[in-house]
Amino acid sequence: METVDSLMLGFSVALRPDVLWYGFLGCLVGTLVGVLPGIGPLSGISILLPITFGLDATKAIVMLAGIYYGSQYGGSTTSILMRIPGEASSVMTCIDGYAMARNGRAGAALCIAAVGSWIAGTFGVVVLTAIAPPLAAFALRFGPPEYTALLVLGLIFLAYMSSTSLPRTLLMAAIGLLLGTIGIDNLTGHFRYSFDIVELGDGIGIVPVAVGLFGLGEILSTPSATVVGQVMAPKLRELLPNRKEWRQSGWPIARGSVLGFLIGLTPGSAHIISSFLSYAVERKLSKHPEEFGHGAVAGVAGPESANNAASTGAFVPMLALGLPTGPVTAVLMAALIIHGVQPGPQLVNEHPDVFWGFVASMYVGNVLLLLLNLPLVGLFVNVLRIPYSYLYPLVIMFCVIGVYTVNNSIVDVWIMLIMGVLGYFLRKLGLDPAPLVLGLVISPTFELSLRQSLIMSNGYWTIFFTRPIALALFLTAALLLSLSLFALTRKHADWRTKLAEAEAGEGAQ
Amino acid sequence: MTLRTDHVAGGAAIAAALAVLAVSGDLPFGTLAFPGAGMMPKLVCALMILFGATLVARGGASAPFSDIGWSDLPHAVRVLAVTAAAVALYTTLGFIIAMSLMLFALIAFEGRNPLAAVVYSVGVSLLTYGLFTLVLKSPLEQGILGF
Repeated sequence: METVDSLMLGFSVALRPDVLWYGFLGCLVGTLVGVLPGIGPLSGISILLPITFGLDATKAIVMLAGIYYGSQYGGSTTSILMRIPGEASSVMTCIDGYAMARNGRAGAALCIAAVGSWIAGTFGVVVLTAIAPPLAAFALRFGPPEYTALLVLGLIFLAYMSSTSLPRTLLMAAIGLLLGTIGIDNLTGHFRYSFDIVELGDGIGIVPVAVGLFGLGEILSTPSATVVGQVMAPKLRELLPNRKEWRQSGWPIARGSVLGFLIGLTPGSAHIISSFLSYAVERKLSKHPEEFGHGAVAGVAGPESANNAASTGAFVPMLALGLPTGPVTAVLMAALIIHGVQPGPQLVNEHPDVFWGFVASMYVGNVLLLLLNLPLVGLFVNVLRIPYSYLYPLVIMFCVIGVYTVNNSIVDVWIMLIMGVLGYFLRKLGLDPAPLVLGLVISPTFELSLRQSLIMSNGYWTIFFTRPIALALFLTAALLLSLSLFALTRKHADWRTKLAEAEAGEGAQ
Repeated sequence: MTLRTDHVAGGAAIAAALAVLAVSGDLPFGTLAFPGAGMMPKLVCALMILFGATLVARGGASAPFSDIGWSDLPHAVRVLAVTAAAVALYTTLGFIIAMSLMLFALIAFEGRNPLAAVVYSVGVSLLTYGLFTLVLKSPLEQGILGF
């Protein structure tokens, strides 16, 4: 009952015309970000972050979150109409979505993707509404040792879930942790690795690193000659699927929603992993697996639902524990902190209007996205006709604006350029930059809680094993690490290797 | 022995960690009861060396380094050089001029019509400047010319 009352408070905030307007703006921009190849939700959020400085925390987070889940909707449009994933999580939709389009069912594929995304997004918000507040209440028992254990578990979980190898993921996370130590040490006041550059005293920001690695890095490795594609433009009356297509999409949407939400709770590229796993599950369960790759409805409905549910699920650890599960939630957390709101267990009590307004805005946002995506598909298709050689310079300009405006610091823009170069070479070596960003984000909290724990115990590291919650978290981490090491030493391919092979195979097609 | 991507990645990580350790001399490690400012960076460097060495040791399964395609390198260098020049001039020339020049250079390098490139670059820069300054109330950098 208390949850319902709180949700009503949330709706009274989310339905205010000004909040609604920023939610709509976020959804619209998010859809465009998802539609345009080369700009991911991370770049979109980072670029628009400075615009929110003049807004209060509720409007800012509503708009930025709208960009995130809006991009999951928009990503399907390019996948279905051009066979180019507008967003990494839409890679699987390319296969059967584009095949449906070639079979003259582009409108039906777009409609199923939009409806599936809506159902999964709404399902995700309902579960988030139910579990985030009790989880936050539980997390109030956490002290520094528990937080240390939780962050270690997060890193190990990330490595376990990663489709690349364990040492590669942990290496990238370690680089992120190291970058996070740059700046003034909070406990002793030492300057670390700032090399007399005053701006580095505050450390390296998440935004320049994330925009550099993902936004600029992507552009550097994508020459315009490689971006070609023919856009199909479905008519409005062709948008409705037939009865058979609706029937075929029902269970895949339901399964994708549950699977996506559960994977979304874990650290890593959950929205990408969830769409790959959903596709694999649907192909496995299908009575006609041979249809996959040739326009199977389940191949669109499952992955599209899964990636939307995962993007909602990712908000649970962010809001309840103050733990980002990926670079996007890390930037969203940074946005809240900039606005003076600390995500974590206290959020629901200290800022109920922000917490519940944000949750309620996601219900509203999912409806807005459904209304936006279907009637305006023609408009989004026209955006895709802008030549890439005109588009990518524009993206670079917005990257520069986005990074510079956060602190009015040109040093941040240089950091973005350096990270762009690093991102380019990481791609060449097949290393995933996401764990690096996650390491950077958790580094200050991890270091502080580790050192506080040791100071609390007067140097006895056994403090991590004498407190029940910390012990349970460390045991879980040890179990996952053992499983990963076991897989590492076995010759046969486990599910992550298969996933990586599938990813590489589909990417090559 | 064939040089593979994991050999390069692991070797680079070890070299980077050793370089960081070399410049960390003035950061005290402290004790377990009172960890110093150097504890975390030095521990992480040790982990980087460990993971880097594991990558090098298990590198045989990764792709040969010579298989990496570098056809996009000229594009990357061009984009990086133009963007770096624009960033260097950003605070001096201001947003409108620096970004117009950057957009024009990037589009012109793609072999597009120079006149269209000029119109697009100046138009987009002015529009963005107006949008941020007038509508979003988040003024962009002004240069020595006052705009």
